[in-house]
Amino acid sequence: MKKLHTVEELHNFRHRILDEKNVEYDKPTLVICGGTGGLASGANDVIRVMKRHILKQGLQEKVAIRITGCQGFCEMDPFILVQPGRHLYPKLKMDDIPTVIDAAIGGYVADNLIYKDSREQKKYSNQNDIPFFKKQTRTILGNNENLDPIRIINYIEQDGYAAAEKVLSEHNPKSIIDEVLKSGIRGRGGAGFPTGKKWEFAHASGKNGEQKYIICNADEGDPGAYMDRSLLEGNPHAILEGILIGGIAIGATKGIIYARSEYPLAIKHTLIALRQARDLGILGQNIMGTGIDFDIEIFRGAGAFVCGEETALIKSMEDLIGEPRQRPPFPISKGLWGHPTCINNVETLANIPVIIGKGGDEYAKVGVPGNTGTKIFSLVGKIKNTGLVEVPLGTKISEVVYDIGGGPVGDAKIKAVQTGGPSGGCIPASMFDMSIDYDSLAKAGSIMGSGGMIVMDENTCMVDVAKYFMAFLKDESCGKCFTCRKGTQRMHEILEDISQGKATMKDLDLLEELAHVVKDTTMCGLGQSASNPVLSTLKYFRKEFERHIIDKRCDAYVCKDLVGAPCQTACPVGTEVWRYVAHIERGEYDEAYMAIREANPFPSVCARVCNHPCEDKCRAGTSGGDPIAIRALKRFVTDNVDPSIYKPELAVWTDGKPPKVAIIGSGPAGITTAHYLSLKGYKVTIFEAENKPGGMLYCTIPSYRLPKETLEKEINSLVNENIEIKCNTALGKDITLDQLFKDDYKAVLLATGAHKSRPLNLENEDADGVYPSIQFLKAYNLRNEHLAKGHVGVIGGGNSAVDAARTALRQKDVESVTILYRRTRDEMPAFTEEIIAADDEGIKIVTLVTPTKVITSDGKLTALECLNNELGDIDSSGRRRPVPLENTEHLVKLDTLIVAISEDTGIETMISANDKQIELTKWNTIKTDPKTHLSSQPGVFAIGDVTRGPDTVINAIADGKRSALMIDRYIRGEKMVIKAESKLPQVFITTSENSDSGEVSTSRVEVKHVPADKRRSDFEEVEICLSAKSASCEARRCLRCDLEFTQPKEDEKEKANNQKTSTGVNVT
Amino acid sequence: MEKVEDVGKQAETNNHKGKLIATLEEIQSKYGYLPEQELRAVAAETEHSLVDIYGVATFYRAFSLKPRGKHLISVCLGTACHVRGGPAIAKEIEKQLGIAGGETTPDNEYTLETVNCLGACALGPVVVVDGHYFSNVKTSEVKGILDKATEGFDKLEVETDQRVFPLEVSCARCNHSLMDARHVIDGHPVVRVTVSFGNKHGRLTLSSVYGSDAVDSEHDIPRDTVVQMFCPHCHAELIGGAPCGDCGAPMVPMIVRGGGVVQICSRSGCKGHLLDLGGSTID
Repeated sequence: MKKLHTVEELHNFRHRILDEKNVEYDKPTLVICGGTGGLASGANDVIRVMKRHILKQGLQEKVAIRITGCQGFCEMDPFILVQPGRHLYPKLKMDDIPTVIDAAIGGYVADNLIYKDSREQKKYSNQNDIPFFKKQTRTILGNNENLDPIRIINYIEQDGYAAAEKVLSEHNPKSIIDEVLKSGIRGRGGAGFPTGKKWEFAHASGKNGEQKYIICNADEGDPGAYMDRSLLEGNPHAILEGILIGGIAIGATKGIIYARSEYPLAIKHTLIALRQARDLGILGQNIMGTGIDFDIEIFRGAGAFVCGEETALIKSMEDLIGEPRQRPPFPISKGLWGHPTCINNVETLANIPVIIGKGGDEYAKVGVPGNTGTKIFSLVGKIKNTGLVEVPLGTKISEVVYDIGGGPVGDAKIKAVQTGGPSGGCIPASMFDMSIDYDSLAKAGSIMGSGGMIVMDENTCMVDVAKYFMAFLKDESCGKCFTCRKGTQRMHEILEDISQGKATMKDLDLLEELAHVVKDTTMCGLGQSASNPVLSTLKYFRKEFERHIIDKRCDAYVCKDLVGAPCQTACPVGTEVWRYVAHIERGEYDEAYMAIREANPFPSVCARVCNHPCEDKCRAGTSGGDPIAIRALKRFVTDNVDPSIYKPELAVWTDGKPPKVAIIGSGPAGITTAHYLSLKGYKVTIFEAENKPGGMLYCTIPSYRLPKETLEKEINSLVNENIEIKCNTALGKDITLDQLFKDDYKAVLLATGAHKSRPLNLENEDADGVYPSIQFLKAYNLRNEHLAKGHVGVIGGGNSAVDAARTALRQKDVESVTILYRRTRDEMPAFTEEIIAADDEGIKIVTLVTPTKVITSDGKLTALECLNNELGDIDSSGRRRPVPLENTEHLVKLDTLIVAISEDTGIETMISANDKQIELTKWNTIKTDPKTHLSSQPGVFAIGDVTRGPDTVINAIADGKRSALMIDRYIRGEKMVIKAESKLPQVFITTSENSDSGEVSTSRVEVKHVPADKRRSDFEEVEICLSAKSASCEARRCLRCDLEFTQPKEDEKEKANNQKTSTGVNVT
Repeated sequence: MEKVEDVGKQAETNNHKGKLIATLEEIQSKYGYLPEQELRAVAAETEHSLVDIYGVATFYRAFSLKPRGKHLISVCLGTACHVRGGPAIAKEIEKQLGIAGGETTPDNEYTLETVNCLGACALGPVVVVDGHYFSNVKTSEVKGILDKATEGFDKLEVETDQRVFPLEVSCARCNHSLMDARHVIDGHPVVRVTVSFGNKHGRLTLSSVYGSDAVDSEHDIPRDTVVQMFCPHCHAELIGGAPCGDCGAPMVPMIVRGGGVVQICSRSGCKGHLLDLGGSTID
């Protein structure tokens, strides 16, 4: 490359390249990211295959390749962007390459590979229309896709060094500083000091002719932020140009880029760029004959977070330990080697050519007053579209998280974003309406920092987050200030105690006090902001801390000393799932049954209808694979073991006549309480309103899911001589609470469930042919009445709706069944397997509709009028809310309509006037103390759905177990408290000898079902029990989280010996 | 406070000033750690006392006083990787290797370290083994990654790997093909040039497979030697390439048949190269 001798030559050079480009570049270009993210995802392989294909097919003249640095949408790596057309082909495999190249040359879009929205399966042929890009303003980052960072010509083509050209020919530092002042840009490194002001001071500082330095701070130490890496890697010349302009503005002759050694590719590209800039004469002595001397060198940091602080950074460049010093003097007056030194962040400097290029006033039009320009954020963590995002300052957090980021990855709701790295704080989802600017973030207790935005969801524990940052800070504290060195250490210890369930509420106060002391008494930015992660999480998530301390629970399942084996902790009745799974693997089925039955009186029921929270939290699933099919394994055990091997002991009441307890409702909750009270010797009477015991299990769950014989057998096994069940006896009709107490019942338990379907509140809802779902299901299950006829519509998306639909399908006069739901399939609360089963059986599922009118003729239903919905903005729950669309009214012809939108307790009609002391909530449930289950009336307890609204079977059983304990203590006059404890695995079970032999399957066992065409006409059980072989295979997949707590530690001594053999330098 | 003015003056006259960290980094990359005798040598050559050097060597994360294993495994525990399961990955590696973070296996094969952020936050959890990045790592993948490290990342199956392919090249000056069908490396005809270094002059054949660095040379070329290459037909030097992106030495350009230029680094042992397709000029 020929050296340029005058500024004019640079100008001409650019125009010559552009002219050549116009001739040559008419062929399509394949743009591919070769940045760190791309390479980590296999971009190098893709590039090689691209080149191989082009060579082999002789396509050199038909298509070009451009390998760029990071473009920001790292989630999609490795991807190819085809220009013109801006077609984005994400997550490519080597085999896809020929298709993409053919499409590029042919000028069409390869439909099977083009970018699709994962949710709506909508195709986007132009990158600009993709939601991730649509709301961004990519002033700085946008250029990365246009250039190959190792080719200076690419940069010059993009108007690169045009700003330098202007500055060099004018040589007027004052006018540069004026433009930067007018732009209003604030330092992008985090503190937000106005860059123009800084340059003004730096310009004025120092004696005439004194050596000055400008340092580009690329020691991007904030974990979770990587825009500086991306800029240096993807567009290094822009940074060099920014430094050069800054150098001229402040009168420095030397620029230094202080780069992290963790960024090898950024350093490599910067070194190449430096070499090229010098070769071309843009850097060096007497630059292009202007008389200006300026050169840049690179300094590789050796890894110390504190060196991001300017005085520590300077010290590390002076061969010293990177400890900050007291300011003033500020580096602006006394910096590197005592000379005036101006330190700017990479992103700030990347903005400088833009400001000079279009003028400060124009630049200031973007953003909001006081916070001008765009800012790059690294949007990472628990979010769908991870990557670098550039938006004008003042954009709302919600726009970044939901519109650009696409919201949460899975079902877990987004809880908070963490900004500003270890010096920043967490902002809760409830405040996502906040504008992102330096001042709002500081007001909320966080900081802008370098722009890390780490999204956290319900599976992120805020105690753990605070602990993580404190561990980081205690390691990175330089140790100079006592309060920072010791304070971060102590805060970390307290947080560790909290995460292990060892802390008390007093520790929480101490933590807060300590945080304030560290903030107030340390010297540098690291110490002064070290408390932010603790203070902000305490401010917004104090409840989580208290839950760890008081209840010994970590609801995110992160703190391992509180979680133990996640399956066990997730089970409301604390079933040692790991234990029975281990027994199944060893072929010990009786032991497995005992493990199940000890915790759960309804093993056969739960083996069929449980919502299995154990599987949701199973580590085999949360660590990226499929959870163990725990419910199917439970079914295998209960189908293969005779339940009579478990014989509970029946205690005899020794203290006179056994007390009587009345239980209203014979659902799983009521029967569980009755069972456990009866074992203690109480005489229990269960009053049931219907003609059979079992509650919802009997009345509404169809027998193809839970056969009636299975249920009856299980209930019978729980009833003994201490229990009497009185059917056809309803509260408020046949009995009253007052009467029961008069009849010498010592306590009454209300477990009446939620048996009243909520209405749609539409006109004509009482028409012939419209049924509430519970009424419909009861009519069939209790009285064998077939209410559904002809074309049947079911409104709702929960299990009750699917149960009603599948039951209707099996009734004799039914022609078709359609489920109508207002959101999309993804949001249907019913179990996924139930939805699939309904689908298979031929039930039509229509989503995104809202019913508006029941159409009748002669008082009889004929059709339902509906509106179509679209998914609108994301509400505070993190789900998109359905918005009815105008003028989309349409009729769905129906003979039967079943309403299954939700259930109510109907309790207010059951309790009589005298029972008015029983307080209800605004949701018409009974208000109880969640720990004791006592209602507002002494002696009256309430559990299950009547207290919570419609809920799961296993929660009802858990309520039953706890209420039995509480009723017992109440009657004995004992203290009604249970000490909170974490449930850690206790028993050590070795794996069977043959477990090491043979491959362990990585995928979940497939549970077989009776074929849809066979089952859709009868009520025989649909799910088929696992074979012994597949049960054992599935059990072998278990990660055995229990072993960490139960395995005897043998290798500990050996390890201690290994550590002694460390070497060190003897300095004495 | 030290007298900054004096230090500044010294710095301008003293070549060692401001170079300590760079020096230690060089030693670290050469040995994989900072051996005591090297640190003593640095102290003897510079005005730094051994105590100061020890201070610097122990303050920064990049330095280690302990020898490291053959393979360096870095698990990122930056915030993004942390919330996406990085600690579980670190634990799995610890379990498989039987060592804790910061330790080396007794057979000196692996050193495991945890790092604060590698800047690949969108792809967490990230693990880097001997400079190779692995993204979205799952616990079940750990074993495969460790096996790959032992196997070596550069190992190429020339026959089956679709990422490698042969190039046909010619001299930029006389346009004569540089291919020599009489010799075969990696199952393909070789590229033959004349090589010159020091006062030696001789034949050099290179694998024509892009991605393979197999060579056969008449003379042993010492590592790190920058050589000149000549066309065996017109005897012109193959020059005009860009500086190597990895080491800065000039690269040797050759014309690719069908359009394009391939450049290879002239430094023995350096794997720097560049393949441009389309365009047949050398800039």
